[in-house]
Amino acid sequence: MIQIENLTKSFTTKTGKGFKKETLTVNAVNKVSFECKPGRIFSLLGANGAGKTTTLRMIAGIINPTSGSAIVDGIDISKGNEEVKKRIGFLTGSTGLYERLNPDETLDFFGKLYKLPEAKLKERKEYLFEKLGINEFRKKRLGQMSTGMKQKVSIARTLIHDPEVLIFDEPTSGLDVITAESIIALIRESKADNKTVIFSSHIMSEVDLLCDDLAIINKGSIIYNDSFENFKKDMTAPNLTQEFINRVKEA
Amino acid sequence: MNELYIIIKKELTELLRDKKTLINSFILPILLLPVLMFGVIKVTQMVRKNNEEKSIKIGLVNAPDAFMKLVKNDTLNQVTTYEESIDFKTLIDDETIQTAIVFPAQFTTQMDSMESSAVQIYRNGSKDNVNGRVSKIMDVYSDALEKKRMTQLALSPEKLTPFKENYVEIGEQKELIGKSIGGWIPYIFILTMWGGCMLAGIDLVTGEKERKTIETTLSLPISKFKVLFGKAIVASILGFVPALLNLVGLIVGLKFIDGIPDQIKMALSEMLSFQSITLILLLLIPFSIFLSGVIIMLVAGATSFKEAQSKVSPIIMFLILPLVLAAMPGIEFTWATVFIPVLNIGLGVKEIAAGTIDMTLYTVMLISLLAFAVGAIYLSYKKFSDESAILK
Repeated sequence: MIQIENLTKSFTTKTGKGFKKETLTVNAVNKVSFECKPGRIFSLLGANGAGKTTTLRMIAGIINPTSGSAIVDGIDISKGNEEVKKRIGFLTGSTGLYERLNPDETLDFFGKLYKLPEAKLKERKEYLFEKLGINEFRKKRLGQMSTGMKQKVSIARTLIHDPEVLIFDEPTSGLDVITAESIIALIRESKADNKTVIFSSHIMSEVDLLCDDLAIINKGSIIYNDSFENFKKDMTAPNLTQEFINRVKEA
Repeated sequence: MNELYIIIKKELTELLRDKKTLINSFILPILLLPVLMFGVIKVTQMVRKNNEEKSIKIGLVNAPDAFMKLVKNDTLNQVTTYEESIDFKTLIDDETIQTAIVFPAQFTTQMDSMESSAVQIYRNGSKDNVNGRVSKIMDVYSDALEKKRMTQLALSPEKLTPFKENYVEIGEQKELIGKSIGGWIPYIFILTMWGGCMLAGIDLVTGEKERKTIETTLSLPISKFKVLFGKAIVASILGFVPALLNLVGLIVGLKFIDGIPDQIKMALSEMLSFQSITLILLLLIPFSIFLSGVIIMLVAGATSFKEAQSKVSPIIMFLILPLVLAAMPGIEFTWATVFIPVLNIGLGVKEIAAGTIDMTLYTVMLISLLAFAVGAIYLSYKKFSDESAILK
């Protein structure tokens, strides 16, 4: 379960020429509230720069919110984001892998930092390698792998600690359809395992395939938050993409 | 502690699998000094031999027979005799001759009547080999004339030497050489250390951004401080180890390379005793952490290797200038200089090499370097925690 209330993130930049400096504060995320339930897939939609990544990074404990609260699997992120991180599997287009390590070493590294007991780590690693077909290249360095192979290892490292909450930030961005399919399958499986899943995307076909609940974020604020069923009921445009564009323009 | 160990192990594994790091941090440092020493010795020997075998073209005017005989004794001297003084500048410029020695017409008469004469030597001051050899001939000829006059005057050499200066050296050879060349030793360590820390620091921070793994690292369930400290320790190791290998290279070079003058060889061996090496290495540990901290602080906001390199490159000036000062005479290791980083290492190593280090000052320097290391780690942590810099 993820409960977000009035979550805000401000960034301060200094601009100006010579000795005259100006400080500019921008709210990248502004009083965002929503809830993601276990066993359901929550989609966070928004155009580039709308605040999706910043919101997800705050939930994942990578950056600290300026104000507001986020409770992830019963833990308030303000109480220490290391505990929150242990409960989260975070996969984004920019969470690359260490190219000079092999899959075995990568999963050992993550598993040890997630403090998995040795036997459990081994068991979990073998299970994921078998399930994702990584065994045949488990000793190969990641830098020498294809995008599809790397993605499989990324999925394995996201799931190594069997997290209760899974966050996917544009996980299929830039991937071919076959590799993207493996991510879609992972998201579906996580839902079936009663995990809390939140994913951001601007690929409407993926949203249509996976989504149970939906929020649209625009210029840092939530402009829609309801079930996907209700969203579709309220649609006035002929397709999802057009409906999304209309709602963003109207906001 | 275990988490820190896991981070260090992973970062080291990654770096040691990079060929660039292996070459720069291990292979080059160990080979650098032996190759340099071997190269310098061989080149010097070659140049000396080459010079000795080179013939020189000498122009002579009014040269007395004895002088002519002296010049012709060396078959490498090609002599051209001129009747009178002409435009030797042009002849030397167009390389017809390399030097000209002009004796006055009445030189022999002047010598016979024990008068003083003046011999003009036309030369190009930049031709060391030619000038050196001509000076040698002139000295031999002058000594011969001097001896002849003393015999004629029935003067013994003792009569013209009222006293001799006999110096009794109190300072040890080690102290003398240590004070003169000890100041140059830190150049080797510090510049190599700088190179190692810089490459590792950039790879560990900016490299993570370039390889898009920084967000992965930040999503790990450990504090940013541990991530940063792990990286700083690894960068320090990659700075410290090349410095250590430099030292190993120096010792190996001294042991196995022929042609190093025995006096220097002995003094250097004495300077690089177990105690001296331990004292130097102890200084380098906090200094490598300090350097790594400074480098990480500077590169945390950079998004590419090139940008990171341009941010850290100017620091080299802050390393070289104090080292130059430390090697200059007159600047001593005192309470005024003990707190200035780099300068204190330069001066301290000089004292260690000479065997005259004041252990109180040494301890204070070590503590001050540790304080600088802690300060640099704190500042790099602040920068590493700056979300807008690290996730840029």
